Amino acid sequence: MDNVKPLPLINGDNEQFWKGCARHELRFQKCRRCGFVRWPPSFLCPECHYTDAEMIRASGRGRVYSFVVYHMAYHQGFTDDLPYVVALVELAEGPRFLSNIVGCEPDDVACDMPVEVVWDDIGEWSLPKFRLLP
Amino acid sequence: MKPSNGCAVVGVGYTSQGRVPGRTMLSFHVEAAAQAIADAGLTGKDIDGLICYRHFPAATGEPDVTPYLVAEHLGISPTYLSQEANCARSHLLHAIAALEAGECNYVVISYGHNALSSDSILKLLYQKGSEEMVFGHFGATADYALAARRAMHLFGTGPETWKHIAVGQRKWANLNPRAMHHGRPMTFDDYFNSRLVVEPFRLFDNCLITDGGRACVVTTVERARDLPHRPVRIMGFGHHHPSSGVQRARHLAGPTGAKRAGERALRMAGVALSDIDACEIYDCFTYTVEITLQDLGFFGPGEGADWFAGGRIEPGGAMPVNTSGGLLSESYQMGLTPVTEAVMQLMGRCGDRQMGPATRTKEPEVILCTDNGGTLQSCACYVFGRE
Repeated sequence: MDNVKPLPLINGDNEQFWKGCARHELRFQKCRRCGFVRWPPSFLCPECHYTDAEMIRASGRGRVYSFVVYHMAYHQGFTDDLPYVVALVELAEGPRFLSNIVGCEPDDVACDMPVEVVWDDIGEWSLPKFRLLP
Repeated sequence: MKPSNGCAVVGVGYTSQGRVPGRTMLSFHVEAAAQAIADAGLTGKDIDGLICYRHFPAATGEPDVTPYLVAEHLGISPTYLSQEANCARSHLLHAIAALEAGECNYVVISYGHNALSSDSILKLLYQKGSEEMVFGHFGATADYALAARRAMHLFGTGPETWKHIAVGQRKWANLNPRAMHHGRPMTFDDYFNSRLVVEPFRLFDNCLITDGGRACVVTTVERARDLPHRPVRIMGFGHHHPSSGVQRARHLAGPTGAKRAGERALRMAGVALSDIDACEIYDCFTYTVEITLQDLGFFGPGEGADWFAGGRIEPGGAMPVNTSGGLLSESYQMGLTPVTEAVMQLMGRCGDRQMGPATRTKEPEVILCTDNGGTLQSCACYVFGRE
Protein backbone atom coordinates (compact mmCIF):
# COMPACT_ATOMS: atom_id res chain seq x y z
CA MET A 1 0.00 0.00 0.00
CA ASP A 2 1.50 3.32 -1.02
CA ASN A 3 1.39 6.44 1.06
CA VAL A 4 -0.78 8.49 -1.29
CA LYS A 5 -4.15 9.35 0.22
CA PRO A 6 -7.20 8.09 -1.64
CA LEU A 7 -9.05 10.63 -3.79
CA PRO A 8 -12.77 10.90 -4.49
CA LEU A 9 -14.04 8.19 -6.84
CA ILE A 10 -16.74 9.61 -9.05
CA ASN A 11 -19.95 7.71 -9.78
CA GLY A 12 -23.41 8.57 -11.05
CA ASP A 13 -24.71 9.31 -7.56
CA ASN A 14 -21.90 11.48 -6.16
CA GLU A 15 -20.64 13.39 -9.22
CA GLN A 16 -22.57 16.59 -8.56
CA PHE A 17 -21.45 16.68 -4.94
CA TRP A 18 -17.73 16.43 -5.69
CA LYS A 19 -17.95 18.89 -8.60
CA GLY A 20 -19.56 21.35 -6.18
CA CYS A 21 -16.73 20.80 -3.71
CA ALA A 22 -14.19 21.64 -6.41
CA ARG A 23 -15.83 25.12 -6.49
CA HIS A 24 -15.85 25.23 -2.65
CA GLU A 25 -19.59 24.74 -2.58
CA LEU A 26 -21.11 22.15 -0.22
CA ARG A 27 -24.10 20.94 -2.23
CA PHE A 28 -26.69 18.36 -1.25
CA GLN A 29 -29.75 16.88 -2.91
CA LYS A 30 -33.07 18.28 -1.67
CA CYS A 31 -36.24 16.40 -2.60
CA ARG A 32 -38.50 18.54 -4.75
CA ARG A 33 -41.58 16.89 -3.25
CA CYS A 34 -41.03 16.49 0.52
CA GLY A 35 -38.04 18.79 0.99
CA PHE A 36 -35.82 16.18 2.67
CA VAL A 37 -32.13 17.06 2.32
CA ARG A 38 -30.14 13.88 1.90
CA TRP A 39 -26.63 12.49 2.28
CA PRO A 40 -25.11 10.12 1.23
CA PRO A 41 -26.20 10.91 -2.33
CA SER A 42 -28.90 8.68 -3.74
CA PHE A 43 -31.08 8.16 -6.79
CA LEU A 44 -34.32 8.80 -4.92
CA CYS A 45 -35.56 10.33 -1.70
CA PRO A 46 -35.45 7.77 1.13
CA GLU A 47 -38.38 9.56 2.78
CA CYS A 48 -40.86 9.63 -0.14
CA HIS A 49 -39.15 7.84 -3.10
CA TYR A 50 -39.48 10.91 -5.34
CA THR A 51 -36.58 11.01 -7.79
CA ASP A 52 -36.51 14.69 -8.68
CA ALA A 53 -34.12 16.67 -6.49
CA GLU A 54 -32.51 20.08 -6.59
CA MET A 55 -28.94 20.67 -5.47
CA ILE A 56 -29.01 23.16 -2.60
CA ARG A 57 -25.92 24.92 -1.35
CA ALA A 58 -25.48 24.27 2.35
CA SER A 59 -24.33 27.00 4.72
CA GLY A 60 -21.37 24.85 5.81
CA ARG A 61 -22.33 25.32 9.43
CA GLY A 62 -23.31 22.56 11.80
CA ARG A 63 -22.42 20.78 15.00
CA VAL A 64 -20.38 17.76 16.00
CA TYR A 65 -22.81 14.84 16.30
CA SER A 66 -20.09 12.36 17.17
CA PHE A 67 -16.34 12.03 16.67
CA VAL A 68 -13.45 9.62 17.07
CA VAL A 69 -9.69 10.03 17.28
CA TYR A 70 -7.57 7.75 15.13
CA HIS A 71 -4.42 6.61 16.95
CA MET A 72 -3.49 4.08 14.27
CA ALA A 73 -3.44 4.43 10.51
CA TYR A 74 -5.34 1.85 8.47
CA HIS A 75 -3.78 3.36 5.33
CA GLN A 76 -0.21 4.66 5.07
CA GLY A 77 -1.43 7.91 3.54
CA PHE A 78 -2.71 8.97 6.96
CA THR A 79 0.26 7.99 9.13
CA ASP A 80 1.65 11.53 9.32
CA ASP A 81 -1.74 12.90 10.40
CA LEU A 82 -1.96 10.83 13.59
CA PRO A 83 -3.71 11.47 15.87
CA TYR A 84 -6.55 12.82 13.72
CA VAL A 85 -10.26 13.40 14.23
CA VAL A 86 -13.06 11.91 12.13
CA ALA A 87 -16.45 13.33 12.97
CA LEU A 88 -20.08 13.10 12.00
CA VAL A 89 -21.06 16.72 11.44
CA GLU A 90 -24.78 17.43 11.58
CA LEU A 91 -25.28 20.28 9.13
CA ALA A 92 -27.79 23.07 9.71
CA GLU A 93 -29.72 21.79 6.67
CA GLY A 94 -30.17 18.36 8.26
CA PRO A 95 -27.82 15.76 6.81
CA ARG A 96 -24.94 14.28 8.75
CA PHE A 97 -21.65 14.35 6.91
CA LEU A 98 -18.55 12.34 7.79
CA SER A 99 -15.40 14.46 7.66
CA ASN A 100 -12.44 15.67 9.70
CA ILE A 101 -12.23 18.32 12.40
CA VAL A 102 -9.02 20.26 11.73
CA GLY A 103 -7.12 23.19 13.19
CA CYS A 104 -7.34 22.08 16.82
CA GLU A 105 -6.09 19.41 19.18
CA PRO A 106 -8.20 16.23 19.30
CA ASP A 107 -8.82 16.86 23.00
CA ASP A 108 -10.52 20.17 22.15
CA VAL A 109 -13.40 18.44 20.34
CA ALA A 110 -16.68 17.53 22.05
CA CYS A 111 -20.10 16.44 20.87
CA ASP A 112 -22.54 19.23 19.94
CA MET A 113 -19.78 21.85 19.41
CA PRO A 114 -20.52 24.26 16.55
CA VAL A 115 -18.34 23.94 13.44
CA GLU A 116 -17.98 25.43 9.97
CA VAL A 117 -16.58 24.13 6.72
CA VAL A 118 -13.00 24.80 5.56
CA TRP A 119 -11.67 23.59 2.23
CA ASP A 120 -8.68 21.29 1.77
CA ASP A 121 -7.54 21.59 -1.85
CA ILE A 122 -5.86 18.51 -3.30
CA GLY A 123 -5.08 18.91 -7.00
CA GLU A 124 -8.33 19.27 -8.91
CA TRP A 125 -10.37 18.22 -5.88
CA SER A 126 -11.27 19.93 -2.65
CA LEU A 127 -12.33 18.12 0.50
CA PRO A 128 -14.83 19.77 2.86
CA LYS A 129 -13.40 19.62 6.37
CA PHE A 130 -14.55 21.45 9.49
CA ARG A 131 -13.13 23.67 12.19
CA LEU A 132 -14.49 24.44 15.62
CA LEU A 133 -16.30 27.75 16.00
CA PRO A 134 -15.65 29.77 19.15
CA MET B 1 -45.76 -14.23 14.20
CA LYS B 2 -46.31 -17.91 14.94
CA PRO B 3 -44.47 -19.76 17.68
CA SER B 4 -41.66 -21.92 16.42
CA ASN B 5 -41.23 -24.99 18.53
CA GLY B 6 -40.13 -27.15 15.70
CA CYS B 7 -36.38 -26.76 15.21
CA ALA B 8 -33.26 -27.59 17.17
CA VAL B 9 -29.50 -27.34 16.91
CA VAL B 10 -27.97 -30.79 17.10
CA GLY B 11 -24.29 -30.48 16.27
CA VAL B 12 -21.40 -28.02 16.51
CA GLY B 13 -18.19 -27.95 14.47
CA TYR B 14 -14.93 -26.37 15.60
CA THR B 15 -11.59 -26.04 13.81
CA SER B 16 -8.15 -25.09 14.99
CA GLN B 17 -8.26 -21.34 15.49
CA GLY B 18 -6.11 -18.34 16.28
CA ARG B 19 -3.13 -17.84 14.00
CA VAL B 20 -3.24 -20.81 11.65
CA PRO B 21 -1.08 -19.93 8.63
CA GLY B 22 -1.16 -21.85 5.37
CA ARG B 23 -4.89 -22.45 5.40
CA THR B 24 -7.44 -21.14 2.88
CA MET B 25 -10.73 -19.50 3.79
CA LEU B 26 -12.52 -22.38 2.04
CA SER B 27 -10.69 -25.00 4.09
CA PHE B 28 -12.03 -23.55 7.35
CA HIS B 29 -15.64 -23.54 6.06
CA VAL B 30 -15.32 -27.15 4.95
CA GLU B 31 -13.56 -28.40 8.07
CA ALA B 32 -16.07 -26.71 10.40
CA ALA B 33 -19.04 -28.05 8.41
CA ALA B 34 -17.66 -31.60 8.36
CA GLN B 35 -16.98 -31.47 12.11
CA ALA B 36 -20.54 -30.25 12.78
CA ILE B 37 -22.03 -33.01 10.59
CA ALA B 38 -20.01 -35.69 12.41
CA ASP B 39 -20.83 -34.13 15.80
CA ALA B 40 -24.54 -34.44 14.98
CA GLY B 41 -24.08 -38.13 14.22
CA LEU B 42 -24.78 -37.58 10.52
CA THR B 43 -22.90 -37.98 7.24
CA GLY B 44 -22.67 -35.71 4.21
CA LYS B 45 -25.39 -37.77 2.54
CA ASP B 46 -27.88 -36.60 5.18
CA ILE B 47 -27.28 -32.89 4.56
CA ASP B 48 -29.81 -31.24 2.24
CA GLY B 49 -29.34 -27.60 3.25
CA LEU B 50 -26.21 -25.43 3.38
CA ILE B 51 -26.12 -21.78 4.44
CA CYS B 52 -22.77 -19.99 4.46
CA TYR B 53 -21.94 -16.88 6.45
CA ARG B 54 -21.10 -13.72 4.56
CA HIS B 55 -19.02 -13.38 1.48
CA PHE B 56 -15.57 -11.82 2.06
CA PRO B 57 -13.09 -10.55 -0.50
CA ALA B 58 -10.97 -13.49 -1.65
CA ALA B 59 -7.46 -13.50 -0.23
CA THR B 60 -4.76 -13.11 -2.87
CA GLY B 61 -4.23 -16.40 -4.69
CA GLU B 62 -7.42 -17.99 -3.33
CA PRO B 63 -10.76 -18.71 -4.96
CA ASP B 64 -13.83 -16.70 -4.09
CA VAL B 65 -15.62 -18.70 -1.37
CA THR B 66 -19.07 -19.39 -2.76
CA PRO B 67 -21.64 -21.84 -1.38
CA TYR B 68 -21.10 -23.87 -4.58
CA LEU B 69 -17.48 -24.39 -3.63
CA VAL B 70 -18.28 -25.30 -0.02
CA ALA B 71 -20.93 -27.79 -1.20
CA GLU B 72 -18.59 -29.24 -3.82
CA HIS B 73 -15.82 -29.74 -1.29
CA LEU B 74 -18.26 -31.35 1.15
CA GLY B 75 -19.49 -33.60 -1.65
CA ILE B 76 -23.12 -32.61 -1.18
CA SER B 77 -25.88 -31.45 -3.54
CA PRO B 78 -28.43 -29.82 -1.25
CA THR B 79 -32.02 -28.80 -1.98
CA TYR B 80 -31.39 -25.42 -0.27
CA LEU B 81 -28.18 -23.47 -0.73
CA SER B 82 -27.43 -19.84 0.14
CA GLN B 83 -24.88 -17.35 1.39
CA GLU B 84 -25.26 -13.81 2.62
CA ALA B 85 -23.47 -11.23 0.54
CA ASN B 86 -23.00 -9.02 3.58
CA CYS B 87 -23.96 -8.95 7.24
CA ALA B 88 -27.74 -9.35 7.54
CA ARG B 89 -27.45 -12.40 9.86
CA SER B 90 -30.57 -14.29 8.85
CA HIS B 91 -28.97 -17.75 8.68
CA LEU B 92 -30.99 -19.47 11.38
CA LEU B 93 -34.19 -17.95 10.05
CA HIS B 94 -33.39 -19.38 6.62
CA ALA B 95 -32.65 -22.76 8.16
CA ILE B 96 -35.89 -22.79 10.16
CA ALA B 97 -37.91 -21.74 7.12
CA ALA B 98 -36.36 -24.45 4.95
CA LEU B 99 -36.99 -27.10 7.63
CA GLU B 100 -40.54 -26.03 8.45
CA ALA B 101 -41.42 -25.79 4.76
CA GLY B 102 -40.38 -29.42 4.41
CA GLU B 103 -37.69 -28.45 1.93
CA CYS B 104 -34.86 -29.77 4.09
CA ASN B 105 -34.22 -32.28 6.85
CA TYR B 106 -30.73 -31.29 8.02
CA VAL B 107 -29.24 -27.85 7.41
CA VAL B 108 -25.60 -26.87 7.98
CA ILE B 109 -24.64 -23.25 8.71
CA SER B 110 -20.94 -22.59 8.19
CA TYR B 111 -18.38 -19.83 8.59
CA GLY B 112 -14.69 -19.74 7.80
CA HIS B 113 -12.03 -17.10 7.33
CA ASN B 114 -8.26 -16.84 7.31
CA ALA B 115 -8.69 -13.29 8.59
CA LEU B 116 -5.48 -13.14 10.62
CA SER B 117 -3.07 -14.67 8.12
CA SER B 118 -4.38 -13.40 4.77
CA ASP B 119 -4.99 -10.01 3.15
CA SER B 120 -8.77 -10.49 2.95
CA ILE B 121 -9.60 -8.13 5.84
CA LEU B 122 -7.39 -5.40 4.39
CA LYS B 123 -9.26 -5.71 1.11
CA LEU B 124 -12.50 -5.43 3.05
CA LEU B 125 -11.35 -2.21 4.77
CA TYR B 126 -10.55 -0.62 1.44
CA GLN B 127 -14.01 -1.40 0.05
CA LYS B 128 -15.40 1.60 1.89
CA GLY B 129 -16.74 4.30 -0.39
CA SER B 130 -14.51 7.22 -1.24
CA GLU B 131 -16.86 9.55 0.67
CA GLU B 132 -15.36 8.01 3.82
CA MET B 133 -11.86 6.94 2.74
CA VAL B 134 -10.78 10.40 1.64
CA PHE B 135 -11.19 11.54 5.25
CA GLY B 136 -9.11 8.64 6.57
CA HIS B 137 -12.12 6.67 7.79
CA PHE B 138 -11.81 2.90 7.53
CA GLY B 139 -13.43 -0.09 9.02
CA ALA B 140 -15.74 -1.28 11.71
CA THR B 141 -13.73 -0.11 14.73
CA ALA B 142 -14.15 3.55 13.83
CA ASP B 143 -17.82 3.18 12.90
CA TYR B 144 -18.63 1.56 16.23
CA ALA B 145 -16.42 4.12 18.01
CA LEU B 146 -18.60 6.87 16.50
CA ALA B 147 -21.66 5.10 17.92
CA ALA B 148 -19.98 4.65 21.31
CA ARG B 149 -18.92 8.31 21.49
CA ARG B 150 -22.47 9.47 20.88
CA ALA B 151 -23.62 7.12 23.64
CA MET B 152 -20.99 8.57 25.99
CA HIS B 153 -22.40 12.01 25.29
CA LEU B 154 -26.06 10.99 25.63
CA PHE B 155 -26.05 8.70 28.64
CA GLY B 156 -22.62 8.84 30.17
CA THR B 157 -21.21 5.44 29.28
CA GLY B 158 -17.51 4.90 28.58
CA PRO B 159 -14.45 2.89 29.56
CA GLU B 160 -15.57 2.62 33.20
CA THR B 161 -18.49 0.54 31.94
CA TRP B 162 -16.66 -1.29 29.17
CA LYS B 163 -13.83 -2.47 31.43
CA HIS B 164 -16.29 -4.81 33.18
CA ILE B 165 -17.19 -6.41 29.85
CA ALA B 166 -13.60 -6.87 28.66
CA VAL B 167 -12.38 -8.23 32.00
CA GLY B 168 -15.48 -10.34 32.67
CA GLN B 169 -15.33 -12.09 29.33
CA ARG B 170 -11.60 -12.67 29.72
CA LYS B 171 -12.34 -14.60 32.92
CA TRP B 172 -14.57 -16.95 30.92
CA ALA B 173 -11.88 -17.29 28.23
CA ASN B 174 -9.44 -18.40 30.88
CA LEU B 175 -11.72 -21.40 31.54
CA ASN B 176 -11.79 -22.24 27.81
CA PRO B 177 -8.65 -23.96 26.42
CA ARG B 178 -9.83 -23.23 22.88
CA ALA B 179 -9.88 -19.45 23.48
CA MET B 180 -7.19 -17.34 21.80
CA HIS B 181 -6.74 -15.47 25.10
CA HIS B 182 -6.72 -18.59 27.30
CA GLY B 183 -3.95 -18.24 29.87
CA ARG B 184 -3.87 -14.46 29.59
CA PRO B 185 -5.67 -12.98 32.59
CA MET B 186 -6.70 -9.31 32.32
CA THR B 187 -7.06 -6.76 35.11
CA PHE B 188 -8.78 -3.38 34.95
CA ASP B 189 -5.30 -1.84 34.80
CA ASP B 190 -4.42 -4.05 31.82
CA TYR B 191 -7.59 -2.84 30.13
CA PHE B 192 -6.76 0.83 30.70
CA ASN B 193 -3.12 0.29 29.72
CA SER B 194 -4.01 -1.25 26.36
CA ARG B 195 -3.23 1.18 23.56
CA LEU B 196 -5.80 3.53 22.12
CA VAL B 197 -6.81 2.37 18.64
CA VAL B 198 -9.65 4.62 17.56
CA GLU B 199 -10.65 6.64 20.59
CA PRO B 200 -12.81 6.07 22.58
CA PHE B 201 -11.81 2.43 21.91
CA ARG B 202 -8.72 0.78 23.28
CA LEU B 203 -7.30 -2.44 21.88
CA PHE B 204 -9.21 -4.47 24.48
CA ASP B 205 -12.53 -2.95 23.42
CA ASN B 206 -12.01 -4.69 20.05
CA CYS B 207 -12.84 -8.23 19.09
CA LEU B 208 -10.18 -10.65 17.94
CA ILE B 209 -9.15 -11.31 14.35
CA THR B 210 -9.07 -15.05 13.81
CA ASP B 211 -8.10 -17.77 11.40
CA GLY B 212 -10.66 -20.53 11.79
CA GLY B 213 -14.16 -21.69 11.18
CA ARG B 214 -17.33 -22.70 12.98
CA ALA B 215 -20.52 -24.49 11.99
CA CYS B 216 -23.70 -25.99 13.36
CA VAL B 217 -26.41 -28.37 12.19
CA VAL B 218 -30.12 -27.55 12.50
CA THR B 219 -32.98 -30.01 12.12
CA THR B 220 -36.52 -30.57 13.36
CA VAL B 221 -37.04 -31.40 17.04
CA GLU B 222 -38.60 -34.69 15.94
CA ARG B 223 -35.51 -35.77 14.00
CA ALA B 224 -33.26 -34.36 16.70
CA ARG B 225 -34.50 -36.95 19.20
CA ASP B 226 -32.77 -39.72 17.24
CA LEU B 227 -29.35 -38.02 17.32
CA PRO B 228 -26.56 -38.39 19.90
CA HIS B 229 -26.70 -35.02 21.69
CA ARG B 230 -29.41 -33.55 23.83
CA PRO B 231 -31.15 -31.23 21.29
CA VAL B 232 -31.15 -27.49 21.85
CA ARG B 233 -34.52 -26.10 20.87
CA ILE B 234 -34.89 -22.75 19.10
CA MET B 235 -37.73 -21.43 21.29
CA GLY B 236 -38.00 -18.01 19.68
CA PHE B 237 -36.35 -15.67 17.27
CA GLY B 238 -36.64 -12.07 16.13
CA HIS B 239 -34.83 -9.86 13.67
CA HIS B 240 -34.60 -6.16 12.98
CA HIS B 241 -32.45 -4.29 10.50
CA PRO B 242 -32.17 -0.52 11.07
CA SER B 243 -29.98 -0.77 7.94
CA SER B 244 -28.67 2.80 7.68
CA GLY B 245 -24.93 3.35 7.90
CA VAL B 246 -23.32 5.76 10.36
CA GLN B 247 -23.99 8.91 8.39
CA ARG B 248 -27.75 8.46 8.12
CA ALA B 249 -28.28 6.25 11.18
CA ARG B 250 -30.55 7.38 14.01
CA HIS B 251 -29.84 4.35 16.18
CA LEU B 252 -26.13 4.64 17.04
CA ALA B 253 -26.79 5.20 20.74
CA GLY B 254 -29.96 3.06 20.73
CA PRO B 255 -32.50 1.80 20.41
CA THR B 256 -30.67 -0.52 18.05
CA GLY B 257 -32.20 -3.48 16.25
CA ALA B 258 -31.78 -5.45 19.48
CA LYS B 259 -34.88 -3.81 20.95
CA ARG B 260 -37.39 -5.06 18.42
CA ALA B 261 -35.53 -8.30 17.69
CA GLY B 262 -35.40 -9.08 21.41
CA GLU B 263 -39.07 -8.31 22.02
CA ARG B 264 -40.08 -10.60 19.16
CA ALA B 265 -37.80 -13.43 20.25
CA LEU B 266 -38.96 -13.35 23.88
CA ARG B 267 -42.63 -13.15 22.90
CA MET B 268 -42.31 -16.10 20.53
CA ALA B 269 -40.46 -18.11 23.18
CA GLY B 270 -43.07 -17.22 25.80
CA VAL B 271 -40.43 -16.18 28.32
CA ALA B 272 -39.39 -12.97 30.11
CA LEU B 273 -35.92 -11.58 30.74
CA SER B 274 -36.19 -12.99 34.27
CA ASP B 275 -36.31 -16.50 32.75
CA ILE B 276 -32.97 -16.05 30.96
CA ASP B 277 -30.09 -17.93 32.60
CA ALA B 278 -27.26 -16.53 30.45
CA CYS B 279 -26.66 -14.35 27.41
CA GLU B 280 -24.39 -14.99 24.46
CA ILE B 281 -24.18 -11.53 22.88
CA TYR B 282 -22.46 -10.66 19.61
CA ASP B 283 -19.54 -8.62 20.93
CA CYS B 284 -17.58 -7.11 18.07
CA PHE B 285 -16.80 -4.33 20.59
CA THR B 286 -17.39 -3.91 24.32
CA TYR B 287 -19.93 -1.16 23.59
CA THR B 288 -21.94 -3.58 21.44
CA VAL B 289 -22.50 -5.78 24.49
CA GLU B 290 -23.64 -2.80 26.56
CA ILE B 291 -26.03 -1.31 24.01
CA THR B 292 -27.46 -4.73 23.13
CA LEU B 293 -28.19 -5.68 26.76
CA GLN B 294 -29.54 -2.17 27.38
CA ASP B 295 -31.87 -2.34 24.38
CA LEU B 296 -32.98 -5.83 25.39
CA GLY B 297 -34.14 -4.23 28.65
CA PHE B 298 -31.69 -5.57 31.23
CA PHE B 299 -30.97 -2.01 32.39
CA GLY B 300 -31.80 1.57 31.48
CA PRO B 301 -29.62 3.99 29.48
CA GLY B 302 -26.43 4.68 31.39
CA GLU B 303 -27.17 2.16 34.15
CA GLY B 304 -24.74 -0.33 32.64
CA ALA B 305 -21.82 0.70 34.83
CA ASP B 306 -23.76 -0.34 37.94
CA TRP B 307 -25.31 -3.40 36.31
CA PHE B 308 -21.96 -4.84 35.18
CA ALA B 309 -20.13 -4.00 38.42
CA GLY B 310 -19.44 -6.69 40.99
CA GLY B 311 -18.88 -9.48 38.46
CA ARG B 312 -22.49 -10.01 37.36
CA ILE B 313 -21.47 -11.40 33.95
CA GLU B 314 -18.43 -13.38 35.17
CA PRO B 315 -18.03 -16.94 36.44
CA GLY B 316 -19.99 -16.97 39.70
CA GLY B 317 -22.16 -14.08 38.55
CA ALA B 318 -25.93 -13.81 38.39
CA MET B 319 -26.09 -13.28 34.61
CA PRO B 320 -23.22 -14.95 32.76
CA VAL B 321 -22.47 -13.25 29.45
CA ASN B 322 -20.31 -14.66 26.64
CA THR B 323 -19.19 -17.75 28.49
CA SER B 324 -16.66 -18.89 25.88
CA GLY B 325 -14.86 -15.53 26.14
CA GLY B 326 -16.81 -14.31 23.12
CA LEU B 327 -15.50 -12.49 20.10
CA LEU B 328 -13.43 -10.32 22.46
CA SER B 329 -11.48 -13.15 24.09
CA GLU B 330 -12.35 -16.52 22.52
CA SER B 331 -12.29 -16.09 18.74
CA TYR B 332 -14.05 -14.25 15.95
CA GLN B 333 -16.40 -16.70 14.25
CA MET B 334 -19.08 -14.09 13.56
CA GLY B 335 -22.50 -14.96 15.02
CA LEU B 336 -21.49 -18.58 15.34
CA THR B 337 -19.30 -17.72 18.34
CA PRO B 338 -22.36 -16.81 20.45
CA VAL B 339 -24.72 -19.34 18.83
CA THR B 340 -22.45 -22.36 19.23
CA GLU B 341 -21.60 -21.39 22.81
CA ALA B 342 -25.29 -21.19 23.75
CA VAL B 343 -25.79 -24.62 22.19
CA MET B 344 -22.78 -26.18 23.92
CA GLN B 345 -23.81 -24.75 27.32
CA LEU B 346 -27.34 -26.12 26.97
CA MET B 347 -25.98 -29.50 25.84
CA GLY B 348 -23.77 -29.47 28.96
CA ARG B 349 -20.54 -29.95 27.00
CA CYS B 350 -18.48 -26.93 28.14
CA GLY B 351 -15.99 -28.54 30.51
CA ASP B 352 -14.37 -26.11 32.95
CA ARG B 353 -16.55 -23.23 31.78
CA GLN B 354 -19.80 -25.19 32.00
CA MET B 355 -22.53 -23.27 33.79
CA GLY B 356 -23.67 -24.99 36.94
CA PRO B 357 -21.75 -25.99 40.08
CA ALA B 358 -18.34 -25.88 38.35
CA THR B 359 -18.65 -22.12 37.70
CA ARG B 360 -20.93 -21.30 40.66
CA THR B 361 -23.71 -20.30 38.27
CA LYS B 362 -27.22 -21.47 37.53
CA GLU B 363 -27.69 -24.68 35.57
CA PRO B 364 -28.76 -23.24 32.20
CA GLU B 365 -32.24 -23.98 30.86
CA VAL B 366 -32.80 -20.91 28.69
CA ILE B 367 -30.10 -18.83 26.98
CA LEU B 368 -30.61 -15.64 24.99
CA CYS B 369 -28.32 -15.08 22.04
CA THR B 370 -27.76 -12.25 19.56
CA ASP B 371 -26.04 -11.84 16.24
CA ASN B 372 -25.35 -8.38 14.84
CA GLY B 373 -24.27 -7.11 11.46
CA GLY B 374 -22.95 -3.93 9.89
CA THR B 375 -22.59 -1.00 12.28
CA LEU B 376 -25.56 -2.03 14.44
CA GLN B 377 -27.45 -2.27 11.14
CA SER B 378 -28.78 -5.78 11.77
CA CYS B 379 -29.73 -7.68 14.88
CA ALA B 380 -30.92 -11.26 15.15
CA CYS B 381 -32.05 -12.51 18.57
CA TYR B 382 -32.63 -16.14 19.53
CA VAL B 383 -33.91 -17.83 22.64
CA PHE B 384 -32.53 -21.36 22.99
CA GLY B 385 -33.80 -23.92 25.49
CA ARG B 386 -33.04 -27.41 26.67
CA GLU B 387 -35.35 -29.88 24.94
